[in-house]
Amino acid sequence: MANIVSVQNVSKNYTLGTFVVPALRGVSLDVEEGEFLAIAGPSGSGKTTLLNLIGCVDTPTEGIVRIAGKVTQTMSERERTRLRLHTIGFIFQSFNLVSVLSVFQNIELPLLLQRSAAAKERRTRVEGLLDRVGIREYAKHRPSELSGGQRQRVAIARALVTRPQLVLADEPTANLDSVTGTNILDLMKELNRTEKTTFIFSTHDARVWSYASSVVRLADGKLVDRVSAEEAVRLGGVGGLPQNPSART
Amino acid sequence: MRGYFDTLKVIVLIAFRNLFASWLKTLIVGGIILFGSMLVVVGTALVDSVDASMSRSIIGSVAGHIQVYNAKSADELAVMGNFQMEGADLAQIDDFKVMRDAIMTVPNVKDVVPMGLSGAMVPAGNTVDVMLEKLRDLVRRKQAGEDVRAAIESQKDHVRQIVGVLSVDFANIGKVLSERAVSSDEREAIRRATAPGFWNEFDKDPLGTLEFLENRIAPLASDAEILFLRYVGTDLAAFSRSFDRMKIVDGTTIPPGKRGFLFSKWIYEQQVKLKTAHRLDDIRDAIVKRGKTIAKDPDLQRQIKLNTTEVKEILLQLDSQQVAMFRDKLQRELGSKESDVSKLLAEFLRVDDSTIMRRYRFFYDELAPSLTLYRVRVGDTLTIKAFTRSGYVQSVNLRVYGTFAFEGLEDSHLAGELNIMDLVSFRELYGFSTPERDKEIQAIKASAGLKEIDRDKVEAELFAAGASDDSATPEKPNSIGDAEAALRSLSGRAKLVKRENESYDPAQLEQGVVLNGAVIVKDPRQIRQTMADIEAAGRKAGLTLKAIDWQKASGLVGQFVTMIRAVLYISVLIIFAVALVIINNALVMATLERMAEIGTLRAVGAQRRFLLGMLLVEALAVGGLFGGLGSALGAGIVAILRVVGIPAFNDIFYFFFSGPRLHPGLSVTNVAIALTIVLVVSAASSIYPGILAMRVSPRQAMQSDE
Repeated sequence: MANIVSVQNVSKNYTLGTFVVPALRGVSLDVEEGEFLAIAGPSGSGKTTLLNLIGCVDTPTEGIVRIAGKVTQTMSERERTRLRLHTIGFIFQSFNLVSVLSVFQNIELPLLLQRSAAAKERRTRVEGLLDRVGIREYAKHRPSELSGGQRQRVAIARALVTRPQLVLADEPTANLDSVTGTNILDLMKELNRTEKTTFIFSTHDARVWSYASSVVRLADGKLVDRVSAEEAVRLGGVGGLPQNPSART
Repeated sequence: MRGYFDTLKVIVLIAFRNLFASWLKTLIVGGIILFGSMLVVVGTALVDSVDASMSRSIIGSVAGHIQVYNAKSADELAVMGNFQMEGADLAQIDDFKVMRDAIMTVPNVKDVVPMGLSGAMVPAGNTVDVMLEKLRDLVRRKQAGEDVRAAIESQKDHVRQIVGVLSVDFANIGKVLSERAVSSDEREAIRRATAPGFWNEFDKDPLGTLEFLENRIAPLASDAEILFLRYVGTDLAAFSRSFDRMKIVDGTTIPPGKRGFLFSKWIYEQQVKLKTAHRLDDIRDAIVKRGKTIAKDPDLQRQIKLNTTEVKEILLQLDSQQVAMFRDKLQRELGSKESDVSKLLAEFLRVDDSTIMRRYRFFYDELAPSLTLYRVRVGDTLTIKAFTRSGYVQSVNLRVYGTFAFEGLEDSHLAGELNIMDLVSFRELYGFSTPERDKEIQAIKASAGLKEIDRDKVEAELFAAGASDDSATPEKPNSIGDAEAALRSLSGRAKLVKRENESYDPAQLEQGVVLNGAVIVKDPRQIRQTMADIEAAGRKAGLTLKAIDWQKASGLVGQFVTMIRAVLYISVLIIFAVALVIINNALVMATLERMAEIGTLRAVGAQRRFLLGMLLVEALAVGGLFGGLGSALGAGIVAILRVVGIPAFNDIFYFFFSGPRLHPGLSVTNVAIALTIVLVVSAASSIYPGILAMRVSPRQAMQSDE
């Protein structure tokens, strides 16, 4: 299988006034197409920073990030946006739906930005995904009229509507109760299986690891190791890693 | 293409949803835009309408579309004056025909009217002078053998009445001020004229007594009026052909080839009419036409006070029979037993809102028929004295043929300020020669025994033996036309030749000097090009012509619309500057509130221009919607005003409105200007928020809660 993501010796520093805060230090990671990869680690370990770099939302201070074979830091902002639109889907912890649009319109939005699909095709795709995530009857509703789980289903549908090669999910179950969280993970897993879409998600929820094909463990901005889901569960806690009391990066 | 349309659809959708989501903010911003666009539509429609009306007033009354004058002139031409008595100092154009022929080669020119503008002060005499002149005429007729005894007695009685009024007047002056306020000569003259034996003296020596009355008594009346007249000398036929709003109100027009004068009806009413009657007219017009009330209007109260204190103007016109008649009528009308007519008149003229209409009618029905309402009447001869260009005083006597007005502008002083005289007389007053004039000068020279001598031989001719005492050597005038004035200045005895019945060869109109010309064009939209063509045609004919449009030619008056437009645009600028700041702030707030949403859009693949477009559409939607509503509201207001009309609340607006009411029209341009301003301001106000939005990183989506 080819690598959809290749992170080589990547570091990312943030500057706060005169202080340089290292968020990631020399991380290397390859992700094959079709993987269902979890990134585990305590708060401040660098999970979100790594997702940002993989999602072309940010560029590394050092090292190389390749997405679908393309080196992201040499791309222009416009090209990175294009890459996000066509290759990557995003699922956010807080769902991040556009409040003024209906469920249908939220899901359709990336297709409209792509400007490649005709109205009929867009409708077919959106309705197909509405069925897949089980919220067909809410198509005309506004996000504010939905529960947290329903909103996350909308977010998943939006992430998948462009048929991306890679879906990045940042703590997708953090704002959901355990039953809803499990349902969402089941859905993601099923889509991973049926659509062959690569999923990378960050989490510090041990229940989620069991769904992953493998778990990458981060601590203090460094990649500790990459273990199987069973091993991660066995290690317990946040993957057996020490908790970092500082804020998420 | 379809993809772009769909993206635009989502941008519009997001923009509109955002507007509805913060409806209060949208309403506030929209309200300002609505007011601004309404103001622009109503304001520009009104200004355009005033512009069009005023152009009709100016073009139709005297200026024409274009005015042409000599480019070498010291001043700029201002046909309506710059609120100065004297006209502009313009260099002459020697031959109107050459100018006319040159200008007529321009295809867009329809006609050229020769003109000259100037002003003069004209003494209109006083009431006593008029009465004494009548008496003198009767005495002459009696001496010629005519039986005019009864008429003489009646006229004597009138003069006696006048002397009586003046006697009371001077006694009052002595009481109110001091004895010294009346000189001993004046006191003596009054005493003599009121002495019992004075009129017996008149029967013995009528001419000597008349001389005493003319020299000593008439000056005491002090009601002599100086008329300030601005006039245009022109070819009447060409003038009335080109300015077809001109109509004769009283009398007739000046016949072709005749010298004469036409009063502007407005000036005639304002300056020539009996002051009391004119003030009554003004008071009535203010109440009837402008809805004013005496109780609330200080100006009307002031006019009433003037009427009650200046009854002498009427009393001087009355002989003893008329005094008795006035007494009877006024006593009956007022229900008074007062016998003093001056007090009765003062009481009668002390009107209020309840009595004005009845007394106005009574004045014109019962009193006015016994009064001379106008100092100068149609058919009278007017002596006009004016300074020539080189500083001599020049006079002409002109018959007043009638009065005129411009249709629709009857109450406008700006349109009614200029009187008209024939061009030939104007040239004389201005110091230019005519063939008749040259002949006349030769005749005066011959009768005065004048001969022209060489400057080097002056001494020998004047003081050598044989030089006669009664010969005089006038200095050669700078301008031939000044010769008569020079002669009169020298001799002090040269009698003014009466000219009022004189005719002239109409060819003189074409061939003489003019100061300016009004050009009427076929297509007014091509004025600018036509002006350039006229100047070019002038150069080709060896003339230094300057062409200016009606607006510039009308002087300060023409700049009025430009001024109003400037005020309007400054107001609009301020309103929209405020709107721009408010819209900008609202959008900045909206952007800051929607950082997560914008970050999400960026993360899922929205390019920066999408965000800019989103904010632009949001601003344009508010601008377009409320600007459209404001424009529609403005159009509605203009439509109502068009039906109802805006009343001209004074005579200046009467001119600007080209009539008593302005019925403004709306053009597509008015709405287009409003919408363009609104959309440009809206677009401009979205620039900064757009830049802010474009700077939002997609990372923002990862860091925030919904």
